Amino acid sequence: MRATFLALALATPAVADTATVVQDHVRPGFTAFANATRALANIDSCDPDVLRGAFHGVYDSWMPVAHLTLGPAEEDGRGLAVLFWPDPKGSGWKAQRALLAAPPTVEEMAQQSVAVRGLPALERLLFPTEPVENACPLIQVTADDLAATAAALAAGWGPYGDLMLTAGQPGNDRFLKPEEATQALFTQLATGLETLADRRIGRPLGTFDKPRPDLAEARASHRSIRNITLSLVALKDLALTLNPDSPKTLAAFDHAIGLAETLDPDIDRITDPQAWLKLEILQQAVRATRDTAIAELGPALGVELGFNSADGD
Amino acid sequence: MQRRTFLATLAAAMAPRLTWADIGAPAFLAAGKRGHDFFLHGLSATGTSLFHIALPGRGHAAAAHPHLAEAVAFARRPGTFALVIDCATGETRHRLTPPAGVQFNGHGTYSLDGALLMTSEVVAETSEGRIGVWDTARYTRLTDWPSHGIGPHEIKRLPDGRLAVANGGIKTDPVDRTKLNIPDMRPNLTLLSEDGEFLDQIDLPDLRQNSIRHLALQGDAIAFAMQWEGDPAEPVPQLGLWAPGKAPTLCTPPGAEAFTLQGYAGSIAATETRILITSPKGGALMLFDASGQHVSTHHRPDLCGAAASSGGFTVTDGQGVVWSASDEGLVPLATDKTKWDNHLVALGCHTTSCPPKHFHLVQISSGGLGG
Repeated sequence: MRATFLALALATPAVADTATVVQDHVRPGFTAFANATRALANIDSCDPDVLRGAFHGVYDSWMPVAHLTLGPAEEDGRGLAVLFWPDPKGSGWKAQRALLAAPPTVEEMAQQSVAVRGLPALERLLFPTEPVENACPLIQVTADDLAATAAALAAGWGPYGDLMLTAGQPGNDRFLKPEEATQALFTQLATGLETLADRRIGRPLGTFDKPRPDLAEARASHRSIRNITLSLVALKDLALTLNPDSPKTLAAFDHAIGLAETLDPDIDRITDPQAWLKLEILQQAVRATRDTAIAELGPALGVELGFNSADGD
Repeated sequence: MQRRTFLATLAAAMAPRLTWADIGAPAFLAAGKRGHDFFLHGLSATGTSLFHIALPGRGHAAAAHPHLAEAVAFARRPGTFALVIDCATGETRHRLTPPAGVQFNGHGTYSLDGALLMTSEVVAETSEGRIGVWDTARYTRLTDWPSHGIGPHEIKRLPDGRLAVANGGIKTDPVDRTKLNIPDMRPNLTLLSEDGEFLDQIDLPDLRQNSIRHLALQGDAIAFAMQWEGDPAEPVPQLGLWAPGKAPTLCTPPGAEAFTLQGYAGSIAATETRILITSPKGGALMLFDASGQHVSTHHRPDLCGAAASSGGFTVTDGQGVVWSASDEGLVPLATDKTKWDNHLVALGCHTTSCPPKHFHLVQISSGGLGG
């Protein structure tokens, strides 16, 4: 009996964990994000001082799901419509300035370039670095559009989550085997940690001789360091939901989160060599966390990163 | 020698000269990995494995003989082997090794009449490109030509015999594949005559970090797929079309789709009306029409191998699945325990670059064998 149970458990190691991720990590996360965007859009004001608190609430609720770029987020460019960053050529602000004079409707906004939509677009209007005239209509439509995108993401995770929960069942061409759904979430964990190290940390880090705090995510709203910490917390939650019994991964995350919490919350301080080194040490810790998670969770879940995507030619 | 044995021996000696039409199958070749071992598989039109042979290391692409049921499987770069496979039996007929100091680069192609095999190669120390030329009667090396660029990857024969060469532009460490010249790389697409004479060349002055790596033929145009080595935040095209004599067209998909492939195209294939590129990094493929307009995008993790097939396109992924791809979507055809590697190579005559019909070679009738 015990042997039979063990064999069954080994045959389907992925199913239970995948279901828990969908039900406890993904869906509640996107619902909270949708609620936060709705709360922001419903505020009857376009005074930046009034809106900033709700903007932070939206961003805080985005970070727990920002790494979930598959499925609903890749349809219609929704993930990019929430967070088009980095934007190295500043295309967002250039295009947004043109929209200030003739603000689009919500329907028209959905057809605009992702560069003028979402959190960075809203941030530029609520935390302007230069005077912006008559921003009210564009603030309102940007907030409404973001709420619509968030609602579509939350709704999309209904059917898409069901596909994950029914992975391997007849007719499910999206996930042909149970472990394909697990592998998809495992890949999100790995790419989430890569994005954190390479982009959220790497872009402002630049080089020792030339730090680039100006390239940081959400710099105007002073969220750059906060987002790094929130990203680590979110990815730790994903890892431990995928496989609660991952002591090495847990330790690696806790070490990295500890380092992140000691950083100066002002990203501009990384022009100071000591602060720069602390951020670089965190970047190394994030990369080590990725390697640890892949080595520990992969075998435990019975999945690997993509054969072709990991090493191209 | 008994008559039966003699006939069987004769049959074995004759069998390797079978044509694609004679054997009917396989339709594709694909390299793959199962466990820790590497194989080359012959796949049917519906994606099931008909034969497999063990490879000494990781494979990459293959080149199909224009008439005979014979193909060459290339090692992944930096390549030390290429195997000539009898696709009727799955047996290895010859093993090719590059000259000292030279490495195969994963791709090759036959001349129009099948008399010559051309192989994409680099001088190991410098990544300077060469095109190795082999006599296919006994697979002896005849000569080599300059590729007119650094790091050639895919080479493709045009229906008139000219040779297109994707010089990827990346200088690599001869041992560990480390990229050595990313800041000043200069890929190009070069056209050579049947005899290896330089005819024409284009490069991408504004996108010098977009490595031109893979090729497909579409009407009069050479469709080329690229891999971006610059800032990943910049949306750059992964597909270009070049009709020699004209300026190339770069095909950027609209809006947020410009980021879907994450700057990376792994394979390219073309039918008369469509061009398909895959991106394992983006977990997606894209279809374009003959003018380079984006038609559709389909998502699937780790897609890479792609070939034109009678029904449109067949693509493979790193999870062992063979798919049929059309404008409408992906339909699974077959699943294997083998993780399919970068390329799927169509055999026989499924594409627009088919050779002219060739008469069948002499065959022994089954009645004769019965003795």
